[in-house]
Amino acid sequence: MISLSSYAFVSMMLFSIGVIGVIARKNIFVIYMSIELMLNGITLFLVTFARYHFNLDAQVMTVLVIAIAAAEAAIFLSVIILLFRSKKSLDTDIFTTLTQGENS
Amino acid sequence: MNTPLLVWIILAPLLGAILNAGFYFYHIKKQKVSDKIFSIIGTGTPLIAFLITLYLFLQMREEGVIFTQNLFTWISIGDLTIQMSFLGDNLAIFMSMFVTFVGWLIHIYAIGYMKGDDGFGKFFAYFNLFLASMLILVLADNPIILFIGWEGVGVCSYLLIAFYYGNKENVIAGNKAFIANRVGDFGFLLGVVTLFFAVGADSLSFSTIEANISNASTELLVLSGFLLFVGAMGKSAQIPLYVWLPDAMAGPTPISALIHAATMVTAGVYMVARFHFLYSGIENIGLFIAYIGAFSALFAAVIATKQQDIKKILAYSTMSQLGYMFIAVGLGFYSSGLFHVFTHAFFKAMLFMGAGGIIIALHHEQNIFKIAQHRAQLPIIHFTFLVGVIAISGIPPFSGFFSKDAILAAAFQEGEYLIWGIGMFTAFLTAFYMFRLYFIIFVAPTKNVSQHIYTSKTITFPLLVLSIGAIAAGFLNFPAIFGGEAMVDAWLTQLNSNAIHMSHSTEYILMAASIIVAVAGILVAYKKYAKFDIYKPESEEGIIANKFYVDEFYDKIFVQASKKLSTFIDKVVDEKIIDGFIMTVCNEFVSFGKKVATIQNANVRFYAGFMLVGMSCIFVYLYILLGL
Amino acid sequence: MSADVLSFIIFLPAVVAFGLMITTKNVEAVRNIAFLATTVVLALVLKLYLEFEPSAGMQFVTNASWISSYGINYYIGVDGFSLTILMMIAILIPTSYLLLWEGRTKGYWINLLLVQTGVTGSLLALDVVLFYFFWEVMLLPVFLLIGIYGFGNKVFTTIKVTVYTMAGSLLMFVAILYLGVAFNSEYGYWSFQYNDLMKITTLSYEENIWLFLAFLAAFAIKIPIFPLHTWIMETYKNAPTGAVFLLSSIMAKLGVYAIVRFMIPIFPEIYVEFSMWFVIFGLFGLVYFGIAALMQDDIKRMFAYSSASHLSFISAGIFSLNEYGINGALYLIIAHAIATGALFLLVGIIHEETGTKSIKQLGGIAKTAPIFTVIFAIMLFANVGLPGTNGFVSELLIIFGIYEFNHTLGYISALTVIIGASYMLWMFQRAILQNRDGECLKMRDLKIKEIIGLTPWIILVFLMGIYPDIFIDKFEPTVTHYINDILKIGAMK
Repeated sequence: MISLSSYAFVSMMLFSIGVIGVIARKNIFVIYMSIELMLNGITLFLVTFARYHFNLDAQVMTVLVIAIAAAEAAIFLSVIILLFRSKKSLDTDIFTTLTQGENS
Repeated sequence: MNTPLLVWIILAPLLGAILNAGFYFYHIKKQKVSDKIFSIIGTGTPLIAFLITLYLFLQMREEGVIFTQNLFTWISIGDLTIQMSFLGDNLAIFMSMFVTFVGWLIHIYAIGYMKGDDGFGKFFAYFNLFLASMLILVLADNPIILFIGWEGVGVCSYLLIAFYYGNKENVIAGNKAFIANRVGDFGFLLGVVTLFFAVGADSLSFSTIEANISNASTELLVLSGFLLFVGAMGKSAQIPLYVWLPDAMAGPTPISALIHAATMVTAGVYMVARFHFLYSGIENIGLFIAYIGAFSALFAAVIATKQQDIKKILAYSTMSQLGYMFIAVGLGFYSSGLFHVFTHAFFKAMLFMGAGGIIIALHHEQNIFKIAQHRAQLPIIHFTFLVGVIAISGIPPFSGFFSKDAILAAAFQEGEYLIWGIGMFTAFLTAFYMFRLYFIIFVAPTKNVSQHIYTSKTITFPLLVLSIGAIAAGFLNFPAIFGGEAMVDAWLTQLNSNAIHMSHSTEYILMAASIIVAVAGILVAYKKYAKFDIYKPESEEGIIANKFYVDEFYDKIFVQASKKLSTFIDKVVDEKIIDGFIMTVCNEFVSFGKKVATIQNANVRFYAGFMLVGMSCIFVYLYILLGL
Repeated sequence: MSADVLSFIIFLPAVVAFGLMITTKNVEAVRNIAFLATTVVLALVLKLYLEFEPSAGMQFVTNASWISSYGINYYIGVDGFSLTILMMIAILIPTSYLLLWEGRTKGYWINLLLVQTGVTGSLLALDVVLFYFFWEVMLLPVFLLIGIYGFGNKVFTTIKVTVYTMAGSLLMFVAILYLGVAFNSEYGYWSFQYNDLMKITTLSYEENIWLFLAFLAAFAIKIPIFPLHTWIMETYKNAPTGAVFLLSSIMAKLGVYAIVRFMIPIFPEIYVEFSMWFVIFGLFGLVYFGIAALMQDDIKRMFAYSSASHLSFISAGIFSLNEYGINGALYLIIAHAIATGALFLLVGIIHEETGTKSIKQLGGIAKTAPIFTVIFAIMLFANVGLPGTNGFVSELLIIFGIYEFNHTLGYISALTVIIGASYMLWMFQRAILQNRDGECLKMRDLKIKEIIGLTPWIILVFLMGIYPDIFIDKFEPTVTHYINDILKIGAMK
């Protein structure tokens, strides 16, 4: 059997890549993809523990997460379309209306 | 003994003032009130005061009693009890007599002088208020009530000097008078406070202080005596608080006559006499007072020799004569000092009123050379002026001789030869500058003589009455060596004044010396001024003509310094340092807040990163804390 | 007369204010009803004054529980001190309305009513938390008055003064809570009544000092005492006349009163020990503010400094530990409220009529407005302390008091005689008397209503100056008891 730690390692890698993607990338789509990547990493983690401890609670959580991710995708993409319509760009750094100082 | 009349001496002019003020408001707001009404109220009430005083005086002469009147308790807190009560003893009635009499005459004079003036009613209201305050001062039974009158005359002096307030010079002069007086009052008030606590008496009246004065330590008595005299320095225009008196001549002449010649300025002398029980015990302070008086007399006389404004000459001469009075009371010769107050009131008021008559006749011209150039024929004024000048120079048998000579003899007897010398030299100068004034105005040859001259009976009548006093008042205190009864000295025995007791020959020699000195002054003045070319007036250069630059000196040291200090406090200390400190604290908070606020930069990725960091810290902490 | 009258006096203006807020929009009606309300309060206070027994301690007491789980009670009462100040407030406020009659809006009047409630409440409160409540109530309407109806940089000014004052009050609140906790731990139940808090004995010396200073912070800012005074400069310059009058004549006095009522009885040994410092600060403020007033050009700011100068003198009198000083300080509170209040209101009239407050631009008012000038002069001389006016009696007593406390300081305290006269007369000369170069200012004389409003004050000035004993009698026994109690306790420790 492949050991638990390898699966954990893979899912942590996926999660970390996702986190770095959220922080370091400016393109909205890439941020969205990174968020999905984070979710996938976590679901992998959950499923691994379900398999290794023979407990189906984690699998139930996984199905829930997938469903929510789908709903979230719908909203996320609509919001991206709205944002694109307002600023005609996919660069997240230019949405600064809620800040204090000269740019508000 | 108790009498209800004492307070009416004060209330009569006070009511006159209130009535006049009321009528005056009516006059300016609704419709005109005739000058006659103001005149009648204005002169009637001092007359009532005089008559009451005269009545009480006669009773006192007959029965030898003292009058008191207690109105109510003014303050009663702890050990301090002050009664609103009045004391009509010999000293008070003596002062009150000539204050009301001369006051009444000057009120009459003012009718003529102020005729046609818009503020006629206002003038008489203030004038009556002044008289009421002076009477409060004189009749007070304790130092605090005296202080009420003391400040009251100060305020009235301010109001009257600044009577023509539209012109700021007059108001500045009024301010100067009030503030210089206030510096004196600062001293007076502290003197009273020190005295009260030093003596430890229950109530604060002259009689209780006198009774308990042995309780006090000598240092405290010296201190309070000095401080009380500071008040007198301010009120009676002695060095160094005299600078207001010449400027006070900006007011209309009747007030110069009443306030700055006969009454208010003598309040200091009265006060020292009233506190005789204090000053007799502290002779160093008395000597100090005498020296201040001597130097003030000399100083003023020197300045007067070069002045060109008729009223200023008379003002400096007042300061000079006040110096004589202080020599007397300083050395313990209270009744001699008060006698000089008495005679001085007559001839100085008369001189001022004469000067006023001339000033009005020539349409408010005050420079003696210009007056001479437009000389007017004013026989009565000329005659009374001559009487006044002779009296002040100390020529017998006019009154000034007797009072001044008594003071000089006192100085000689006490061994104060420096003071005596200064006094003699000042007498020489007095005769000199007074006759300089007389000769220039009335005698030096002039080309034209004015035709349209205005004078009236209300101006000349008081002059004549006062001239009788100036000539004859000396006989009220006719010294014993000539066979007189020295009635004033006898009347004022309560003061335990020192008396002159030297050999008759010494006295005769001293008298002769003072007469010679005065005549010498007259002769020098005659030589220089009787044929003076008035069209080439004396120059206004030189230290003496510029009054030794004292005003400029005070201005630099006190006025400019205060202004600079004030600006410094306001702009630098308050705004920059104290407020600056507080605003800096606030601004620090604000800028700190702004710095923290940069975290909220609406950058989503930044927020995400921040959250990551935060969560990581929490996990690490939990890991360490939970020991996993 | 039942004790409820005090509650009525406190709350009537607030009730009227709320009623007016929700009903009418007509400014005239609002003003008239407000005036009526304050006159009713005046009548009640007069009756109270006449029925008061000078030597019977605290009277007309109401003690109802409010937040009983923490021992906070609605505890009010009146004694010699508070009665005198209450009387002064009750007379000053309606008559000042007469001088503010024209040209205000509805909000102005409602705020004035609310301030009166706050002021009377803090005056009569005997429970410390209740006092704090009313103290804050007093601040908020003033915040609105200055911020809405002020001049110049009004928003900044009102925020500055409110935050500054509240910073002080917050320190005081912390101290109050600390005391409450200490009392609870010592006696087992909660109480915030001042006579209970006096009995705390478990606090250490250092704690006492810190608490004392915390309390003092709140009051020292209000009075003001050097160096916590810098808010007055902007505030008095930019605030509307009504607010300035309330601030200087009434609210500042409450700071002094609160020191006497709360601070000194609760911390008597600190009071006795540090009195020298406070007298020195007070006298320093007297001289400092007086000199600063000299070169001011803005007339309201000059009066602000003058007011601060006298208030420092009052606080020096309070700290002088003897009957002359404290009686004199109380008398000066009244005298100063009348004289300075009148002067501020008159200056407000100048500002409204001529549009300027700068002394350099004023002048010639005496010619066009003689009655105004006379009343101004009377109040000016009362402020300067001319004998015959109440200013003199009070200053005399304080000088006696400070002299008895310490001879040298007594000498310094008499400087008030000179300093006050200089800047006042100079201002009077330039702003009022001398003619202006240039055309005459547009300045009207006083209307009948205003003269009627000022008449009681003029009468009081002279009556209090000529016959002070009838006024002093009402509060002197209280002061004597007070001093004896305090000094006994202070001497014991």
